[in-house]
Amino acid sequence: MFSAEIVGAWIAVFLTLAIFSYLYRDNPFYKIAEHIFVGVSAGYWASMYFWTQIQPNLFGRLWPALHEGLSLGFLGKLWYAIYNFFNLIYPPAFPDGGVATGHGMQLTYIIPLILGIMMLLSVFSKFSWFARWGICYVVGMAAGLRAYGFLNSNVIGQVKGSVIPLVGDVSTGAIINGIILLIGTISGLLYFYFSKEHKGWFGTVGKIGIYFLMISFGASFGFAVMGRISLLIGRFTDLKSFGGAAYHHASLWILAAMVILLGIWSFFNKEEKATKGVPIK
Amino acid sequence: MFWKRQIPIAIVALVGTLTLFGWFVDQPDIKSFVDDDATQWYDILASFAIFLGALNLLKLQMQKIIKRKKGWQYSIFAIGGFIFAFTVGFLMRGAYTVNINSAGETPQVVAQVVAGEIGGTIQASEVLLGLIEEDAPLMLEKVHFTGKSVNKVANQLKESGADAKIIPASWGAHLTTNGSFFNWMFFKVFTPLSATMFALLAFLVASAAYRAFRIRNFEATLLLGSGIIIMLGRVPIGSKISSWFVLYVIVLLLGVIVNSWKRNRILTFSTVGIGIILVTIAGIYMGWPIDRPAFAYLPKLQDWIYLVPNIAGARAIMIGIGLGVFATSIRYILGIEKSYIGE
Amino acid sequence: MKKLADLVIKLGNVDRRWIFIIIAIVVMYPLFKPLGLPIRPSESSQEVFNTIDALPQGSKVLLSCEYGPSTKPEIHPMAIGVLRHLFEKGHQVYVTCLWPDGQFMAREALEQVAENEYNLTYGEDYVLLGFRPGNEAVIKGIVSDIRKMYTIDSRAIPIADIPMMNGITNISDFDFLFSASAGYPGTVEWVQLAADPTGIPMSTGVTSIQVNEVMPYVDAGQIKGILAGMPGAAEYEKLIGKPGIGTSGMDAQSIAHVVIVLFIIFGNIAYYLERQRSKKTF
Repeated sequence: MFSAEIVGAWIAVFLTLAIFSYLYRDNPFYKIAEHIFVGVSAGYWASMYFWTQIQPNLFGRLWPALHEGLSLGFLGKLWYAIYNFFNLIYPPAFPDGGVATGHGMQLTYIIPLILGIMMLLSVFSKFSWFARWGICYVVGMAAGLRAYGFLNSNVIGQVKGSVIPLVGDVSTGAIINGIILLIGTISGLLYFYFSKEHKGWFGTVGKIGIYFLMISFGASFGFAVMGRISLLIGRFTDLKSFGGAAYHHASLWILAAMVILLGIWSFFNKEEKATKGVPIK
Repeated sequence: MFWKRQIPIAIVALVGTLTLFGWFVDQPDIKSFVDDDATQWYDILASFAIFLGALNLLKLQMQKIIKRKKGWQYSIFAIGGFIFAFTVGFLMRGAYTVNINSAGETPQVVAQVVAGEIGGTIQASEVLLGLIEEDAPLMLEKVHFTGKSVNKVANQLKESGADAKIIPASWGAHLTTNGSFFNWMFFKVFTPLSATMFALLAFLVASAAYRAFRIRNFEATLLLGSGIIIMLGRVPIGSKISSWFVLYVIVLLLGVIVNSWKRNRILTFSTVGIGIILVTIAGIYMGWPIDRPAFAYLPKLQDWIYLVPNIAGARAIMIGIGLGVFATSIRYILGIEKSYIGE
Repeated sequence: MKKLADLVIKLGNVDRRWIFIIIAIVVMYPLFKPLGLPIRPSESSQEVFNTIDALPQGSKVLLSCEYGPSTKPEIHPMAIGVLRHLFEKGHQVYVTCLWPDGQFMAREALEQVAENEYNLTYGEDYVLLGFRPGNEAVIKGIVSDIRKMYTIDSRAIPIADIPMMNGITNISDFDFLFSASAGYPGTVEWVQLAADPTGIPMSTGVTSIQVNEVMPYVDAGQIKGILAGMPGAAEYEKLIGKPGIGTSGMDAQSIAHVVIVLFIIFGNIAYYLERQRSKKTF
């Protein structure tokens, strides 16, 4: 019985083990899986972005579905004639009578359309600078959004957050912790201040700062280990379920086949074997 | 030069200023443009950028194949992968279902077909068919990948007298509909690849732990100490490790510190000895409770490190980054920073 | 003694593929033979639970899914746990995604919890608005006018035809925000562009890697509690009393952590011995 689910499981297991085979050494299985990943990702992203933004929110605003009984003027007819041309080429994205995604017509959206097309044209090296305008729009907007967001939440918000609670129902422990937090934050920040030489009292403060930073980096390291292991657990859980009878033991068969093939491949690639692929010491 | 240089800088300055001041301006037209349309333009351009990326990737891989560069054979898989994903994204959607608008004259016969299609008994299917009303057709849950297979079922239903209609997933919604090719690709091709790429790092991190994390100085000790405490304290096994075990480890570490500091064996041994005796007496006196004293109980110790010194360090970094990003953003808006046009 | 030291030094320089094999075995074993270690909720997970538990019945909750297959083991159990808690309490859930992958993850979680476990109606109890490209600009759009950002949902149903979208125009119409986030764009952007400027109460669940990036916000009260990585998910499952994928991974997680700690200790002993030896030879 070959259902899409079972065929899919065998493919998934093959791709998973092909990537894991990198741990043995760089090999054709890994390279194939890696290249498939690159290609599929590109197609996947393009499809997602087209159907979630370009089609509904750009074409939907340029050529909204026309209400029944609405009569267009000459320019309107011309405008929709362009649409009908697209409709002939690719009806899924340009269905008869306009894109019905609930927008009204907003012709200002021609600007992002033109900038977008210029971006695409930049694939040809002659027009490579065409992408700049669109990119600059994105850069400018990101700068405007971030300047505010980072100043407000990461600087002002954190300064406010460092306030030590003294009034009300506060335990001694909370006050001590608040003081430690404040000292740590200030000394850590001063460590990053390089316009003054780290000597004398300033050096001592910087030293305390670096201790706090080290504890923080240590925690980050602990969390990094934690995260990676969780992801591995996820993969193994999948492999385990694909190894069950419902999937005709896909994991076991493919693992066995791959081990044999890698063994043969290693045997015939002896000159590379000397480097062992993983020379970290 | 004007088109390639001045205009781009002007665009960044204009858009950046508008966005930044959009937070503070209360003029409805400007606010509406900045908050809604300008962000939509951004989203649209971001989408075009993705297409540009895909085109560039194709160009690169094609060149590799045409020029027969090293490993060009693999590029065929990259292009094949793209074509596959593109096809299921734009050309073949799958995900066909069948709606039964009315069971017709012979519901018993229709029920047989329905039972074969969705599983379950013929009686249950008859009940389902009985629920059909004018505006509420019976939607069969089974999803078909191909038109051929769905046509077969629809024809069977029609032959048995029902009014059946094939409903394909609408374009756009087909991405995440169960039973669409794109959805299949996501879970069976994209998921294992991207998830395993990340899971590989678990092995590399373990190997780094074994080979690279060396206690060379006090800073490294702090780093490793806090890392180990977080690692053990945050997972269930941490609550199984007695605080008295941790206290003994602390005594031993104290011995190591004294030894490397004073280089005196008698002092080291007496520190360790006195420490062990003190901990043991305290343990006997308190009855060795697993979570007391609290400061040596890993889950508690972990929580304190996590919530106090760790946050102090993380906050210093956050403020630093915040100031850095703010300054860089302003430099972009003012046209001082021009890396985006390669200057 | 010298032979032992030799052995330790030799083991300290072993081919790293042996380490890979040990890690693989250590992670695999508890998946087949669970140990059932007890899970103890941490302070910050408890805060998330308390915040959600205290929402008045019938609240409108915005759940944003910013994760994909690569981080699914960490974040997906959180999303499922939070959804169970929200539906148990009778809240309406609106799901958005800043990552394209998030739409698939969210659909899977909703299918499991809303459809199969709670038998809820799409469009009345929950809606999957879906993914929109544009990172922080999407958040800005949701904050100011969600109806311009989303005119159709992920099933291509017009927003006007979705009953629970009645009266929803921007972020101030929601009572609570939960970001299930695995990186950029995610929690940080929601804090900067939504929670801080508008004051909407917010909690988050993040990957372990991200925890330190986000913790200062939690401490400063900009976020109400945080679920940190797979252990955070397991703690939440414990709090709502419904063990799931997070809980079943905790044994493997525990053992793997212990083994890595032992690696660090052993690696350092080998390093110490080797250094002692090289000092003597000079």
